[in-house]
Amino acid sequence: MAAKPRVAIFDFTGCEGCELNQLNFENQLLDMLGHVDIVEWREAMDDRPGEYDIAFVEGSLSTPDCIKRINEIRRRAKVLVAVGACAVQGGINSMKNTRPIEEVREEVYGKDKYLFPTLPALPLSSVVKVDVNVRGCPMTQIEFLKVFTALVMGKQPVEPTSAVCVECKLKENECVYERGMICLGPVTRGGCDAQCPSVGQYCTGCRGLVPEPNLKAMEDILVTHGLSVNEAWKRLHLYNSHELEGLKS
Amino acid sequence: MDLKFLASDRVEALVSHLMHQKAVYAPQRMGRHSVALDKVTNPAAVVLDYSRTMQSVKKYFQPPRDELLKFDLTDQSFAAATVEPLDAVLLGIHSYDRAAIDRLDYNFSQGQPEKNYLKRREGVIWVGVSYEPDEFHFSGSVGIGPLETEGFDVFLSRVGGGYQVETVTEKGGEILAGFDLPQAEQGKPSPGHFHQHIFLPQARLNEVMAASYSSPVWEETAQKCVGCGSCNIVCPTCYCFNVEENVDIKVTGGTRERIWDGCMLREFTEVAGGEVFRGGLAERQRHRVLRKFKYLSDRTGHPWCVGCGRCTAYCTAGISIVSIVNRCVSDFEKHPTTAV
Repeated sequence: MAAKPRVAIFDFTGCEGCELNQLNFENQLLDMLGHVDIVEWREAMDDRPGEYDIAFVEGSLSTPDCIKRINEIRRRAKVLVAVGACAVQGGINSMKNTRPIEEVREEVYGKDKYLFPTLPALPLSSVVKVDVNVRGCPMTQIEFLKVFTALVMGKQPVEPTSAVCVECKLKENECVYERGMICLGPVTRGGCDAQCPSVGQYCTGCRGLVPEPNLKAMEDILVTHGLSVNEAWKRLHLYNSHELEGLKS
Repeated sequence: MDLKFLASDRVEALVSHLMHQKAVYAPQRMGRHSVALDKVTNPAAVVLDYSRTMQSVKKYFQPPRDELLKFDLTDQSFAAATVEPLDAVLLGIHSYDRAAIDRLDYNFSQGQPEKNYLKRREGVIWVGVSYEPDEFHFSGSVGIGPLETEGFDVFLSRVGGGYQVETVTEKGGEILAGFDLPQAEQGKPSPGHFHQHIFLPQARLNEVMAASYSSPVWEETAQKCVGCGSCNIVCPTCYCFNVEENVDIKVTGGTRERIWDGCMLREFTEVAGGEVFRGGLAERQRHRVLRKFKYLSDRTGHPWCVGCGRCTAYCTAGISIVSIVNRCVSDFEKHPTTAV
């Protein structure tokens, strides 16, 4: 990779919280800007067309226009990084995928629904090849920095696959279950340094499911700890509807 | 044997006495439901009556994240981290956790000695305490009673109103010197009643576990398991690790760290080229249990499980290592010839 990679930052369907989190790198931002040239970032600068080495992309794909744009971005980017739960696994947006798309469209747009073509919310990887994932909702800052430094050095970042439980145990956090709450840590990918359980919150599963999750066993854990089967699956669907709908079919 | 008596209301004074000589690490209340070992700053915070800490004393000798070296990319140099002896009093340690350190001492001194671990092990004074087994402890089944004093310098056994204090070694006598304690009344501390038992001693288990390689118990356990790895990460005799390098944001240097890893984790079994050599949770569960009751025991004669019950207590899926082993035992007794 060239000495100073050109970076472009894009967003699709999402809250732009991940991009805000990139602007929030107050202590690192100047160092980061020393390594790269940002050539395109709507959140922080005027649009400018160009070529780029690394594209950081936030949001899920939920309209036909999104599909066109992501293909264009893929063509122009050497490395494409999906940033945040929406881009990586469809995120909260993909909860709509559990219902007929026409019904969702009508509920949101009413009689004007024909003006707004819409698709099930898809992770970027459903449409284009994604090279690297930065997970989380909003994206995990420590992971973004690791990915950023790896890419600047021309190396392939390592994607964590172990559950959040590992990071809780490394930090000796009192288990959320011991405190009488339920937690998706056992089947959720770590890499966040167990951010939420470390401050007394339970894991909502924002970083997506571990590879080959044992969902029946997770359902049993949640039900044993007091949820109904229906509630258990609702919890699991919050960030993972796209993957879970895929497993059904 | 010279036994002294430490009244409960003098525990704080004893902690202060120890703190005047060395740093003291002891169990202290962490959350509302948990106790953890930590450096003592307030003697009143020490809790001697507890069932278990999530992490054992292992964390002081093989830290969860251990910086091995710092490297500088600008001149391609590196410097190994300075490792200091712990040189402290470890107070309020249960016998199974002391026994676990004996096992790690073996692991880390075989072959190429593990310098960092052995360095940190130096200068430790061990002050043990007895405990009342809860629904998860089964140390009795692996030959480590709650009153076992082996490896300790001083041992406190709970009796009515306080503790019987036994000075086990000379070092123990030295650390207690100057702290006046009355003679203990005659009377025996409770030997502890276990609620969990493994049916056979280790001498028989090697054979049983060898015969259980193709047992359906592994697949049945895997059905309940989510593979979160908690059982590995809380185990006092697990010592596997991964090595990670982190580069700072200036991209001028960074650190190489050793981080606890575990055989229940998919990444752990993945090798170069992407091959996963224990692909399913059944294979991983089998490996975990055989590491405790067969592979290392074949070599040393001792089970590598100390019966602390952590893997079961912290398993959200309720998987019990005692049930797995006993299932292997009862299957073996019914069909002893199914050895593979």
